Amino acid sequence: MSKISRRDLLQYIGAGGIGVVGGVLYGESVQQNVELLIPQVVPPEDYSPGVATWYNTVCNQCPAGCGISVRIREGKAKKIEGNPVHPVSQGRTCARGQAGLNALYNPDRIRTPLQNVGQRGSGNFEEISWDEALTTVGSRIGRLKIDNEASRVRLLCGRVRGHLDELFLQFMNLLGSDHYQQYDFTYPSALMAANKMSFGTDVLPYYDIRNAVFLLSFGADYLGTWISPVHHSLAYGHLRQGREGRRGKTIQIEPRMSLSGAAADEWIAARPGTEGLLALGIAHALVSEGHYHGSDRDEWSKALQAYSPSLVSAETDVSEDKILQLAREFGTSTASLAIAGGATAAGTNAVASIVAVNALNYLAGNLSQPGGIIFNPDPAFSATAGSRQAGFQGMLDLIGAMKAGDVDVLLVHDTNPVFALPDNVGFRQAMQNVPLIIALSSFRDETTEMADLILPTSTYLESWGDDVPDPGVGFPVASISQPVVATLYDTLPVGDIVLSLARQIGGELPIHMRWGTMEEFIKERWREEYDQRGSEGEEQEFEAFWQAALEAGVWGQPGAVAGDQPVPLSSSMIASIADPVSKFAGDESDYPFVLHPYLTATFLDGRGANLPWLQEMPDPMTSVVYGSWVELNPVTADELGIREGDVLDVESPAGSVRVPALIFPAIRPGVVAIPVGQGHAAYGRYARDRGVNPIHIVATLIDDQSGDLAWAATRVKLRATGERLQIIKTDGVTRTLGRQILGPENDHA
Amino acid sequence: MSISVLDALRPGKKPALLGLVLVFGLFVGAWVHGKYFSDRSPIQPIEFSHMIHATDNEIPCQHCHIYADRTPVAGVPSVSKCMGCHNSVPSVREHPEILKLVAYWEKREPIPWIKVHDLPDFVHFTHKRHIRAGLACQECHGPVETMNRITRVATMRMPWCVDCHTERNVEHGRDCWTCHK
Repeated sequence: MSKISRRDLLQYIGAGGIGVVGGVLYGESVQQNVELLIPQVVPPEDYSPGVATWYNTVCNQCPAGCGISVRIREGKAKKIEGNPVHPVSQGRTCARGQAGLNALYNPDRIRTPLQNVGQRGSGNFEEISWDEALTTVGSRIGRLKIDNEASRVRLLCGRVRGHLDELFLQFMNLLGSDHYQQYDFTYPSALMAANKMSFGTDVLPYYDIRNAVFLLSFGADYLGTWISPVHHSLAYGHLRQGREGRRGKTIQIEPRMSLSGAAADEWIAARPGTEGLLALGIAHALVSEGHYHGSDRDEWSKALQAYSPSLVSAETDVSEDKILQLAREFGTSTASLAIAGGATAAGTNAVASIVAVNALNYLAGNLSQPGGIIFNPDPAFSATAGSRQAGFQGMLDLIGAMKAGDVDVLLVHDTNPVFALPDNVGFRQAMQNVPLIIALSSFRDETTEMADLILPTSTYLESWGDDVPDPGVGFPVASISQPVVATLYDTLPVGDIVLSLARQIGGELPIHMRWGTMEEFIKERWREEYDQRGSEGEEQEFEAFWQAALEAGVWGQPGAVAGDQPVPLSSSMIASIADPVSKFAGDESDYPFVLHPYLTATFLDGRGANLPWLQEMPDPMTSVVYGSWVELNPVTADELGIREGDVLDVESPAGSVRVPALIFPAIRPGVVAIPVGQGHAAYGRYARDRGVNPIHIVATLIDDQSGDLAWAATRVKLRATGERLQIIKTDGVTRTLGRQILGPENDHA
Repeated sequence: MSISVLDALRPGKKPALLGLVLVFGLFVGAWVHGKYFSDRSPIQPIEFSHMIHATDNEIPCQHCHIYADRTPVAGVPSVSKCMGCHNSVPSVREHPEILKLVAYWEKREPIPWIKVHDLPDFVHFTHKRHIRAGLACQECHGPVETMNRITRVATMRMPWCVDCHTERNVEHGRDCWTCHK
């Protein structure tokens, strides 16, 4: 055995060492990344990890009041679906409802109370504490109250219903100010006014599309945006396919094809602003062709004398035959229904048009009939909040008061008049005269941006509340809104802010508004309601009832009596219509095109623009994603030599916007359409600086009878700027380009 | 004269030996890594012994892993759960490892345990079904009650899952969508 030399030994040790290191490195390289298993310090009591719980609450993305179920895992909201037992949504939601999670988790949410430190409207905010914020507001309002100047405090909300509305009202009453107003661009003011005239009701009726056989819609995009789209979509499904062997028929009358127009059997692009006249022409034919058999037939035929189909045909650009055919089908179908909305309800003849449509329903015997108009009982809980709707006139009054220096403190909640009013009414400028503006808001929209102090509100998924859906469903219904997740940031539900302010102001306010939280208040009111209705055979204890109502998210009395029979419609109503055709702002020779702004199924009046899922959802008719566009008929575009993507200057008598052109065949020549909702100057990273807001260039014509803004009564002119912009859309070309896809005889290239 | 190949190999003997030592070193290194640094049996922030808890003190698995029979995850016990018992076990109160636990609790911090049994995110695994099918914890986790430091005994890879599903004739047990959904 030879001895190992020193040199060899070192070599063996070296080789062994390299081997060991290599082995360790190899082991390290095949090993997975270390993940940690983090236990909870104290386990939650109300959930098990990995197991979803569904909580029922109320959607707040539009005013329809759908019931929703939210899937919660580990205390986080994961998914929103419709509440299956809620009579409005019946287990369904729309895109806006789904996008509620985007509101909850939005990175642009206001997380703490903020105080404006720069110039007003500059967006220079500094964080302050709740104590400081509430003390500032409380002492300011408290001083006004002591000085008997509380009427200089004004409260402006969006569409607030249920007991939150009562809380606001009580707060303002105790303060001594009767200036509590609501403003919602989508509020159907003209429909309410017309129904009040026609039927004497203050409550929206239930339009029973589900059981109708022949549906005649004047501009109402009932599948996309009109008052309760989810419910109407369900009803539409039943109208089409729910009855064996009996497919309902729908006709859509509007200058620009909406989603409902695309789904209709026939789309009739009557001359814009003449839809009401068309309804009168159909009414004339109904009576003269003998489809109406009432005892007052002669009076009706006299009242409708001026609207013979031949005359109406000339004005509306709808053939006489078509009018007679519509009248025949409308008169002979059992369960026909006519509805009006959209641009038809936004001309200077809005109320007149809807009265004419109501007359159609009366003459065809559709009132209080299945498949017709069913009158809702008074809301289950609390008085109707609709009476607080300021409407356009109320907003002008508010602007006047602000300009005159009559407003010391303006509280704004969940409404964005700076965005949703025409520019030239000067809401923003008038705000400059108000010494203290307080926004109760979750997002920094254009109106909130003007505030001196922002009190951040929790989203609807983190708040207590309740709601009575409007329109109702023909029987008493009320829903409970409960927090489905714990509040994410240092925000408070708006009801709790009002209660805190009441405590801060002191005096008799906290004595009357003695509830510690909104939850307490809601529960107490429901208990009172329950005790009142106690005699109606519900034998359970209140706590059991409350638990059941919380679990279901809704309470209702199906089969309960419908509302009172309406007063029969009188033919004198027709005689009172002065002008059934809308006037337009702007002379036809200077402004050759009619501007047709339309609400979109995604953003509605712009409130959805800060939600990324909605921004990336293609428009259902044009497939355009992001941004704004102006739709032109190919004929109009050819005449002007405009191609898709040409940036146009769209100028009305009230202002102008620059927006790329989209050639869209489903629009009447001579009409140009711009979707509403984009064009935000604030409202977070997803909404800001994207597209244009057509409401800003709407001239301030008003409806003759309701005084509401006639936002579809503006003319515009177009001018190519020479710039071009690629419109982003998921569609390819809409033409067959000679490929004979539709067969040789249908190929129009 | 004997004929030997050794002589012929002599010139290569040293490099071969060096290579042998190197390979041996590789095995030693891999073993050391597996023993002391591996994710199969990583050193945990607290030297927790399942042997002491499950064998010596006879605590059933689901006393601590409370979610195993009703949720996808077995549930690592909360710090408050540990303290709930240890507050009333004064005999080990001063044990250095227990002092670590108390420190976490007093700071209200979770213990950053290192995960030993982990499945990729694209696998939909649920404890609930396996427990309800009557499987013992040890079938997958090995004799945990004998381990001082938790060690993974199974590969936790798909062939291992499928073998067991096949062997037991699990309904839809080899359907892709059962685990990948």
